Amino acid sequence: MSSEVETSREFTRGLCRGIESLASRTPSAALQPRLRSERRCEVGLNTLQRIFITAFALVAAAQFARADSPSVTAVLSNSETVVGGTLELQIKVTGPGDAQPPEEISVDGLEIHATGQSRQFEIHNFATSSSVTYNYTILPFRAGRFTIPPQTVRAGSKLLRTPELILNVADAPGSSAGARQSRGRQSQSVSAGDLLFAELIVPKKVAYVGEIVPVQIRMGFDPRVRPRLIEPPEITGQGFTAQKLQQSGQTSETINGRPYDVVTYKTAIAAARAGKFEVGPVKGKAQVIVPRARSAPRSRARSPFDLFDLDDPFSDPFFSNPFAQMGERREVDIKSEPVALEVKPLPPSAPPSFSGAIGNFVMTTDAKPKSVQVGDPITVTSAISGRGNFDRVNAPAIEDERGWHKYPPSSKFKQDDEVGISGTKTFETVLSPNEKKQAVPVLAFSYFDPAKEQYVTLRSESIAITVQGGAPATQNVAASQPASASPAPAVAAQSTQKPQDILYQLTDRPATVESFAPLYTRPVFWTVQLVPLLGLIGFAGWKIRRARIDNRERRRFAALQHETSELMHKLRRNAGSPQEYYAEASRVVRLKTALASGSGGIDPNVVDAETAADTFKLDADSRDQLRRLFEQSDEWQYSGAHNGPATISPESRREVLELIKNLK
Amino acid sequence: MKMRASLIAFLFCALATPSLFSQADAEFAKANQEFAQGHFKEAISGYEALIHSGQWSANVFYDLGNAYFRTGDFGRGILNYERALALERHHPEATANLQIARDEAHALEIQPSSLERYLQFANINQYSVAAATAFWLAIFAMFALILKRRRSARAIAVSICCLLVLVVAMYAIFTLERGTKGQALAVVTGNDVQARLATADTANSVLALPPGSEIKILSTRGDWIYAALPNNLRGWIPAKNAERVRL
Repeated sequence: MSSEVETSREFTRGLCRGIESLASRTPSAALQPRLRSERRCEVGLNTLQRIFITAFALVAAAQFARADSPSVTAVLSNSETVVGGTLELQIKVTGPGDAQPPEEISVDGLEIHATGQSRQFEIHNFATSSSVTYNYTILPFRAGRFTIPPQTVRAGSKLLRTPELILNVADAPGSSAGARQSRGRQSQSVSAGDLLFAELIVPKKVAYVGEIVPVQIRMGFDPRVRPRLIEPPEITGQGFTAQKLQQSGQTSETINGRPYDVVTYKTAIAAARAGKFEVGPVKGKAQVIVPRARSAPRSRARSPFDLFDLDDPFSDPFFSNPFAQMGERREVDIKSEPVALEVKPLPPSAPPSFSGAIGNFVMTTDAKPKSVQVGDPITVTSAISGRGNFDRVNAPAIEDERGWHKYPPSSKFKQDDEVGISGTKTFETVLSPNEKKQAVPVLAFSYFDPAKEQYVTLRSESIAITVQGGAPATQNVAASQPASASPAPAVAAQSTQKPQDILYQLTDRPATVESFAPLYTRPVFWTVQLVPLLGLIGFAGWKIRRARIDNRERRRFAALQHETSELMHKLRRNAGSPQEYYAEASRVVRLKTALASGSGGIDPNVVDAETAADTFKLDADSRDQLRRLFEQSDEWQYSGAHNGPATISPESRREVLELIKNLK
Repeated sequence: MKMRASLIAFLFCALATPSLFSQADAEFAKANQEFAQGHFKEAISGYEALIHSGQWSANVFYDLGNAYFRTGDFGRGILNYERALALERHHPEATANLQIARDEAHALEIQPSSLERYLQFANINQYSVAAATAFWLAIFAMFALILKRRRSARAIAVSICCLLVLVVAMYAIFTLERGTKGQALAVVTGNDVQARLATADTANSVLALPPGSEIKILSTRGDWIYAALPNNLRGWIPAKNAERVRL
């Protein structure tokens, strides 16, 4: 892309040069004597300072003067275009004050419209500058080399000229010479007293049947009428289908000196048959507020909008003071001019994989997984992206389906624009190899390219895969079949092999009924759990009972031991009467016998001398002693008197104690 | 009075059960005969009658699958082979015929995860028995630990091992029940079934499901079921076009 930019600085060019040369020369001229004086002798510092200050002031003045000088530039958005392609011209006026751009630029073969203006302010190195950019839309009618002559722009009191611009216009692809002459790109009609307009822009004059042609609708409203669209625009006409309108933006533009709020809609049309059609007109309905009609002769003051006394409806004071008089709400129809469109049929001899796709597409393919068994599914993903009629883009065709089983594909579309002309359509096709394969079969997708005016077929690259063996279960079945069938000689024969037959019927039926319910959901499972539960409860009860019994025995033993030790203590103290002494001694023997019996559980009260002697396995002497001890104890206890002395001798006590000690 | 009623009911069952079984055997034999004579639809009716009366067995489902296969209804054939295998995991005839039917119908299978594949060395019932046994052993061992005055290392080791077995068995049950062969497993029985993105016949297609393809039902909404599909896809399919394997 190249653009031509020319700057005109007539006002200040000479002045700037003079000041700049002065600013650049003066310091060096001043420095020479200073350097010379340094070499020779001393020069006063005051002179040097004065010179620097003067130079700085001059440079600053030059910069200010340069920033203040108005200038104009003109630029094309593109120096090359095609017939029917729009481009933009910008005229930028830099400098103070208002500028008056050319109202109309007329070039034979080009339609140039002013579309609005914008103003910019800049502050750079303490210098302020302002600029106004005037925008124009250029629409070429025919091919050729066009020269946009210099335009005169009034900036303040100065007249500036834009540079001459060159525009090269080429033929639109697919358009015929005759078609170019009439240039059916757009139409415009001004209705309702220039308050609103509708514009239908069809960039192509010639299209093919089924080709998607983008269409733009611009609806402009004078903001002063406070418009409200009550019926959205609709493209009328027959022989084509139009997609749903999508509002793409809203801008403020000045057209022929009038401000407009321009709403842009985008859609696409596709011709259903060949022939010559008229697309449009675009129709819509809006509600606007206009001043009430006056019966009295005009006596009002002229509106600031009505500079040239053109009987502008907005010259009514209603618009300067809406509350002075009530406006009238009206419904107005908006209608554009139709646009001619020539539709050509598609050329014959379409490729087999052509499904009606027209446009420009590319295709990428992938397959997963890359290593499978025979019969396993492989998902082949094909993404077709580009620009065209995606509703007619079908899944790529498999060129050689032999040895493959193909399932119906699924698709999804991701559009990249508002109307769905461009985007990516992704297909997922499940393929299943029936035999060993080295690669996924080639997929082919054909479309018609209207620019090249020919069919194009895209083929996927070879995707290598690994297909292993046959299905294992099938092999098992083959093995279980009678051996009458000859073994398959080769893999090729496998694909032509007759489908294997199923196995025989089973005629025996089990006596019990089976259930699909998992075991843990069946009542019998939980009933069986009662067995270990009951076992656990029994085990626990037995354990607890055992513990209780053990505890009781233990307490009994402890009590017996306690009593034994206390009695032994008393016997050693030798404090009691003979009756008490023998009673306690025999009691100790009984207690010791009960303790020695262990788990036998002998009651100490029933222990006699023989039992005790047997328990401790005493010899004859000890047995006699023990017997005597029990006899004396009985005598003292039951007779109340004793034949012997009233006291017990120390020898007798020692014998008794010895006897008791030996009971182990 | 109550005792007498219970006794009568028990006697009735004891007497009626053999006659029911003999009747079922007769129906089964008749259906087999119809199959042998090539009257596959009549055979299907006979097997279906047996199944509706609750006389489920792997062989009946296998024979029913064969009958459906012969009529060209691969979807229902595969469904009944799957049912036979659900009842009897190692049913060699059902396994073989299922593979043949799948090859014929080009049915799609849901691939189990590697963990599920490992856990499939036993079935849910075996895991249930293992879990119950481990549970009771662990309980007894812990009970003994509590009651004994001295801590036995052997009892502790047994308890830990049994608890580990219990946890593994329960996890295996949970995984298998929700896995590809679990209770949500269903088989596509309709022809030209498309899994779709939404519950509408006009919704975009996710995957074309040949008859006999496995799906895993995730939820049901009206006449549509939302299912996990082969190739890790998910979509909606009409409920009438699929049947659960487990009855």
